[in-house]
Amino acid sequence: MNKILLIIQREYLTRVRKKTFIISTILFPLLYLGLIFGSTYIASSTSSVLRVAVIDSSGYFDKGKIERENLKDSSNILSLVNYSADSVKANYKALGYDGFIVVSPESNWEAGLKLSLQTGRTLGIESSAGVQRKLNNIWDGIKNEKLGITDSIKTKLQESTVTLRQQNFNDTTANSGVATGIGYAAGFLIYIILLLYGSQVMMGVMEEKTNRIAEVIVSSVKPFQLMLGKIIGIGLVALTQFFIWVLCMFLIYNFTSSLGNGSTANNIIGGVQAIFTSIDVPLIVGCFAFYLLGGFFFYSSLYAAIGSAVNEDMREAQSLSFPITMIVILSIVLLPGVIKDPSSPLAVWGSIIPFSSPIFMMARIPFGVPGTVPWWQLGLSMVSLIIGFIFTTWFAGKIYRTGILMYGKKPTWKEMIKWAIKK
Amino acid sequence: MPILELQHLRKYFATQKAVDDISLTIEKGQIFGLLGPNGAGKTTLIRMITGIFYPDQGEIIFDGKKFDPLNDIVHIGYMPEERGLYKKMKIGEQALYLAQLKGLSKHDATTKIKEWFARLDMESWWNKKVEDLSKGMSQKLQFVTTVLHNPKLIILDEPFSGLDPVNANLIKDEIYNLAKSGATIIFSTHRMEQVEEICDHIALVNKGQKMLDGTVKDIKHNYKENLFRVAFSNKLMAEHLAIHLFQVKEKNEHEVVIKLDPGYTNNDVLEYFIHKGLHIESFNEILPSLNDIFIRLVEDTPAARQFQDITA
Repeated sequence: MNKILLIIQREYLTRVRKKTFIISTILFPLLYLGLIFGSTYIASSTSSVLRVAVIDSSGYFDKGKIERENLKDSSNILSLVNYSADSVKANYKALGYDGFIVVSPESNWEAGLKLSLQTGRTLGIESSAGVQRKLNNIWDGIKNEKLGITDSIKTKLQESTVTLRQQNFNDTTANSGVATGIGYAAGFLIYIILLLYGSQVMMGVMEEKTNRIAEVIVSSVKPFQLMLGKIIGIGLVALTQFFIWVLCMFLIYNFTSSLGNGSTANNIIGGVQAIFTSIDVPLIVGCFAFYLLGGFFFYSSLYAAIGSAVNEDMREAQSLSFPITMIVILSIVLLPGVIKDPSSPLAVWGSIIPFSSPIFMMARIPFGVPGTVPWWQLGLSMVSLIIGFIFTTWFAGKIYRTGILMYGKKPTWKEMIKWAIKK
Repeated sequence: MPILELQHLRKYFATQKAVDDISLTIEKGQIFGLLGPNGAGKTTLIRMITGIFYPDQGEIIFDGKKFDPLNDIVHIGYMPEERGLYKKMKIGEQALYLAQLKGLSKHDATTKIKEWFARLDMESWWNKKVEDLSKGMSQKLQFVTTVLHNPKLIILDEPFSGLDPVNANLIKDEIYNLAKSGATIIFSTHRMEQVEEICDHIALVNKGQKMLDGTVKDIKHNYKENLFRVAFSNKLMAEHLAIHLFQVKEKNEHEVVIKLDPGYTNNDVLEYFIHKGLHIESFNEILPSLNDIFIRLVEDTPAARQFQDITA
């Protein structure tokens, strides 16, 4: 036992002390935030304003209405012009327009308008949809005038609507909007950690083989202890990194709430607080830790087995680990379906089978326990994950024991299974 | 009391009888040479002694008791042929880690490492990384980490590969010192000249089986061919050698190599030459080198082991 602790300590310290760990721990959130803000900034600053000339022969459109809408949405600018369609078409560039719309004199407000946006180049769907939205808003104003609907009537029409909110009578706190968000976040986080740290385990084992230190170590400890120590050590690194990120979030949250005045900050904080009151935080955090570690043990022992079986060649490792990686990826591909209907047979069975349960179950739990996920399912899923990772660790240990001392040809999965089942 | 007794050890792999019924006894304080061509089963045998493999059959008695890998492993130091160290780890920390894995406390390990580093001029290495070391230097470090925990049994597989003559001698002296202070050393190699120089006792394995076992002196005697080299101060004549006592293997003007016929002794030969009026300058028995014996025993078998299906 003491020896496993030594191995865990070494695996943990050598990784945490590395510059790359410190850099990636700090840089990852910054990069992530940068990506989000940067991409929205770039998207908003680079998209050029679409200028469209409106040639109206119907007399419905007037400058005032168009200007009012242009002020509301400046991603495209409509301007009423008096030129003929042909002259605009010939000179649209010189006039500074990207395209034009002709409203025919026969247009009738009751029948609606079928217009076409004539442009010199093909626009994206989003751009023409924006123009259509704006035209519809203007058209609404024109219709209201014709029908004699005043602003006060309009407000009434808009405000008085039917809202439908789903309520699970087994779990009155469930909030499917929030649950969807948390479900996605938790599922993706587990997915990333499984792949990222799983491959770290694999590389760590390969390093021991390449450096030829494996036999030196297994003359002091059992191969199984070495494998387990490595997996736990790297698992702790993952937890450390996760913990640092949570701490950062907590600090930022407190920092912004102490600033307190900005209305945006208040809104965000209010939103966050609302989220936290609508979900069972201790249950979700507890389950997250369980499924993260369970999933990590389940998969990383398989990755360790692969690392022990191959030689220095990274390509060999990739081709052998492909089936495992595929299973993880498949879970994430099916995740939206699970979140859409968290009680479907796919979601239920997928969250019990240990291959997909870490991702699937974490996507379902925010929808409510026991409302959406009955206790028996949660229990069965946890037990099967525990049995699953005990099995994969045992299985991987068998392969590892043989593989780590083998040099030469890359084994196939069939041969590896043979190593595992021989006594 | 022997430190290690192997009784009818067997280990079969899917395609090979790697170790096929080997029994050996190694006494305390011996420097024991385990010889054999590549693929003879030396490494598999050693891996059973170090608890890495379990034997399919047979017993290992370590220090008078049945070998218990879990607890006895701390009394064994093993330097495998495929050896290496963590490249990115500092040398001091690495030695400390390996020593602690062998059950030493941090404090004891530190003292021991400092002692050894001082003895082998390695003090300045502590904070260096293994990747900064030359091959010879890292071999030295590897040796130190193998013997750091004062093992009762030290197993060295090709310990001199990659070492220059100066460092090889340094390590050789340390091996003698360790043996003198009571440790037993198993020295596995296919380099015969080193064995002859260092070992008192050897065993030769081939194709998973022990072919011979004994002291170097006894083995040489058992395999001697009764060859003698005789040198004379006067010139040899053809009639001097026409006798049934021996056959002439080589000769020149003043020297002859003879093979004694069965039933005659050295004295008979000497008497004969003296009687012939020859002045004998020297008379030496030519003993076979271990290399000759090794080659003679292994020669008849194919150099590389053939794969065969095992149905057992």
